Amino acid sequence: MRHRLLAFATLFVAAQGLLAVFAAWVSPYDPLQQNVLARLKGPSADHWLGTDQFGRDVLSRIIHGCQASLAVSVGAVLAALVLGGTLGLFAAYYRGWTDRLVMRAMDVLFAFPVLLLAIGIVAVLGPRSSSAAIAIAIVYVPIFARLLRGPALVICESDYVAGARAIGAGDARIIFLHILPNLASVVLVQTSLLLSAAILVEASLSFLGLGTQPPTPSLGLMLSEGRNFLMLSPWSAIFSGLAILFLAFGLNLLGDALRDTLDPRLRGTS
Amino acid sequence: MARTTLRSMLLAGAVALAAFPAAAQTLEVAIDGSPAGLDPHIITAFTSFMVVNRTIYEGLTSVDKDLRLQPGIAESWTVAPDGKTYTFKIRSGATFHNGAPVEAADVVASLKRVLGKDIASPLASRLAAVDTITASGSTVELKLKEPSAPLLTSLATIAIVPRTFETDKDGLQKQPVGTGPFKFKEWQPNGFIALTKHDGYWQKGLPKLDGVKFNIVPESATRQVGISSGQYAMLPNIDAATALQLKGKPGVKLAETLELAYTLVGLNVSKPPFDNAKVREAVNYAVNRDEIVAAALFGAGVPGGPLSPALKDWAVDVKDFPCYKYDPAKAQALLKESGVAQPITVSMSVLPRQDIKDIAQVVQQQLGKVGIKVELKTPELGQFIQDWRNSNFDMFASTNAGSPDPDDYFYRTFRTGGSTNVFKYSNAEIDGLLDKGRATTDTAARKADYATVQKTLACQGPIVHLTYGQLFTAMRQNVTGFEIVANRSLSYLADTSAK
Amino acid sequence: MTIRRLLMARLLDLVVVLFCVSVIVFFMIRLIPGDAVAIMLGANTEVTPERIADLRHRIGLDLPIPVQYAGWVAKALTGDLGTSLWTGRPVVQEIGLHVWPTLQLTVLALVIGAGLAVPTGVLMARLRGRFADGAMRVVTVAGLTIPSFWLGIVMILALATWAPTLQALGYVPFFDDPLGNVTRLLLPAFALGLPILANLSRLVRSAMLDALGQDYIRTARAKGASERSVLYRHALRNALIPFVTSVGIMTGYLLGGAIVVEQVFAIPGLGRLILGAIAERNYPLLQATILVVTSGFVVVNFAVDLLYLAIDPRVRA
Repeated sequence: MRHRLLAFATLFVAAQGLLAVFAAWVSPYDPLQQNVLARLKGPSADHWLGTDQFGRDVLSRIIHGCQASLAVSVGAVLAALVLGGTLGLFAAYYRGWTDRLVMRAMDVLFAFPVLLLAIGIVAVLGPRSSSAAIAIAIVYVPIFARLLRGPALVICESDYVAGARAIGAGDARIIFLHILPNLASVVLVQTSLLLSAAILVEASLSFLGLGTQPPTPSLGLMLSEGRNFLMLSPWSAIFSGLAILFLAFGLNLLGDALRDTLDPRLRGTS
Repeated sequence: MARTTLRSMLLAGAVALAAFPAAAQTLEVAIDGSPAGLDPHIITAFTSFMVVNRTIYEGLTSVDKDLRLQPGIAESWTVAPDGKTYTFKIRSGATFHNGAPVEAADVVASLKRVLGKDIASPLASRLAAVDTITASGSTVELKLKEPSAPLLTSLATIAIVPRTFETDKDGLQKQPVGTGPFKFKEWQPNGFIALTKHDGYWQKGLPKLDGVKFNIVPESATRQVGISSGQYAMLPNIDAATALQLKGKPGVKLAETLELAYTLVGLNVSKPPFDNAKVREAVNYAVNRDEIVAAALFGAGVPGGPLSPALKDWAVDVKDFPCYKYDPAKAQALLKESGVAQPITVSMSVLPRQDIKDIAQVVQQQLGKVGIKVELKTPELGQFIQDWRNSNFDMFASTNAGSPDPDDYFYRTFRTGGSTNVFKYSNAEIDGLLDKGRATTDTAARKADYATVQKTLACQGPIVHLTYGQLFTAMRQNVTGFEIVANRSLSYLADTSAK
Repeated sequence: MTIRRLLMARLLDLVVVLFCVSVIVFFMIRLIPGDAVAIMLGANTEVTPERIADLRHRIGLDLPIPVQYAGWVAKALTGDLGTSLWTGRPVVQEIGLHVWPTLQLTVLALVIGAGLAVPTGVLMARLRGRFADGAMRVVTVAGLTIPSFWLGIVMILALATWAPTLQALGYVPFFDDPLGNVTRLLLPAFALGLPILANLSRLVRSAMLDALGQDYIRTARAKGASERSVLYRHALRNALIPFVTSVGIMTGYLLGGAIVVEQVFAIPGLGRLILGAIAERNYPLLQATILVVTSGFVVVNFAVDLLYLAIDPRVRA
């Protein structure tokens, strides 16, 4: 069962990923092509998910929107992983004041509610998709730092690392070749879960007008624009919201299934 | 379990409905944004203006639903033949909300307050021509440095407040005191602003309502559901898309008028490519205004020239502007003639408001067809304004409030060095005509001059005027007596009743 | 003794963190492009540059930023957090007005989430087997990842379609109309609370399943104790620790989610206050509000840590 769930989640995420990557080939229409006469229509044979207020094809916009959302979220989470992970590993390896300084800084960042800090950062950088990515990356740095520091501390004390040190391996070599691989499963699980959360944060920012800007298709933005026409034609708002849900759902389920498979001890505790 | 919860939820809702009927004769109005304060000499944004103008505060003069000048706190006035002395007779029987009668001294203090440096009122430039302000008995005399045709219209927007506030910076922001039909009761920031009837109002029998409550509801769908359910009785000054969704809803009716404000694309003429008049003309030919009306305004609007068609006495018919006929081939020819390197790539800064964002996307596509590649930028409002003020743009898409007198808008926008001439436009012929129009009070001569100005500006000016939208107000069926005004003032709330 | 030391250390951390937060917030909000005066004047007024300078002076923006910060700290230490830029109202008063709706909303969301989690989790524990396990997983993960603002919009749409005359939106103060207050908060609280419900009910379910397989249940059963009472007592106790941790983690989520949900449902809470203050660059107001929200968040996390100590003896050791 566990493996079947993992297979299902992997397939689900992979399908969405492929759709997003090949958006330009897959989508039936140009997502920017306006056709005012055919606007705000419900689903039909021509437009499977209907059209928006400019008569643009909702399905094509959603496929491109998924691409935008995934690009921002994946970019941001990977950046956070690299930066936060490095900070966490160094803190664990060197201990002492490095550890204290780094972790206090992380505490400060951690003190802000996620969305609030992200809004503040975007306000400073100006609303565009790159700002949203930077904001999400900054917000997630402390999470990865904390995540990696704990287990890294344990590994650092192990005979294994002591052995590596004894044969004269350098610090960087020990950290990247001996400590990091041991943390792979934790990282994989958490990355998947945080990607899911990042999708939601990116959607919230776009929804508030702080992410991707029109006319570029973005799921949060489509939802935000679509709600102005809710009583005329709710399709754009409903389907773009569903797309956000599917993206976040797939990644979360994947993280969940990965955790079960890679680390059976944790199964079912959260 | 779940079913029981749902049932008790619904039951609780029903009980709430039965136990608390809407208070009689308080009009529940829903608006989309909070005002920045309630001091009429400080706040100038639409939302703030809408809440206080002619509800809490009144000016010496007023403007009716046809945008014609009417008496306000001044019951009459005279203008000296040289156009430099205005004498206002102050109405007897008008009182402030604190009970004090309105006297000439209050009027003088109010105007001086607007001019005061500490108060720093942004409205000061509307009184820029004023030299001295003096009171004698029940009259107030304004002496001007030079004649100023738009002064009487401007005075309608300058609130009369008690003289004690002349040097008080903060008092009115929290606790406004005016002469209008409603007085301030309570302000829950982000919640509501409640006004109650001013019993000593000078117009007998008004206001008909016991009070007005402005509920601040940012979400359009929530406002729509609110008026459909009867929770709100009025959604003032809504756009066409919202109106369309409310059309035909049981219990809801719509009032509409052509708006004084217009949408525009501004061009920076201080740098290429828009320093070239041919390129500006090409943009005018490339823009299909009818399509913009259809696409972004849902058909509710008209193509607009430099003046609103609502200004029947002044506006030139758009049919008289050759470049208003959509002609992409002509646009391409003009671009070729201009000698500017093609393809042209420019960025457009877009005011962050839904209808403007919509219009910008349509314009982007239209200009793309003639080979002008436009990149849209939607900065946050503060950034937009800063860029606008600092002329930091190639093009921008925005909206402009419009004014009942042409001089007010033309002079500050198109005169060399005008206060909102952010385009850096300079044209000696236009400057001459504007100076002349400002200094004379001969209406026929002004009309001819302003017609020339409009024709020059329409095709080669720094602004591509796009559309004048239809403005709507949605009301419950039982609301009567309200008239919608093109400048978004809610002045007819005094005559409104809800039975 | 150790506990007291631990507490003191954590408290000290807390103070340091809050100080750093105040510095970051102060400088960050002033880095936001466009200042308060430009915003207040709007896009097109006939204002002269001198007037703009006067207005900036009027609200103290003409001073260098470090000087502004020093002035702010000096006042803040005496308990004066400043006044809102244009209204001149003390920011403490403005925050006070906005705290209640948010607090009510989040507490109601927690109550809905946590309250329904126990029966839902127990119910879910009854369904076992390979298919049911997978299905439960899918349902709870979906609940966990549903965007609350989308759910809110869908609920508004449903309301408009099926109950157009029901007045269930907006906000009325509790003391004006207690029943109306609660009915109007139900929809937003549910939108906000659903992920909590999903998360917690999953915890309850797995705790129940674990407990069913434990020796002491079998023992209890053998002793003839009522199966039900044993099951609930043990299973729920087991679920308590992850439950409390989750609630702690969820507070951050709730505060963030409330910002968007308040916007959708027109609730005059802290989220609206913050977005509004950013929009008009109301620095003193924004500064104080973020500080209050962040402090609240930090204190809740601190309280969760303490609770953790109280519940789980192993942490103490």
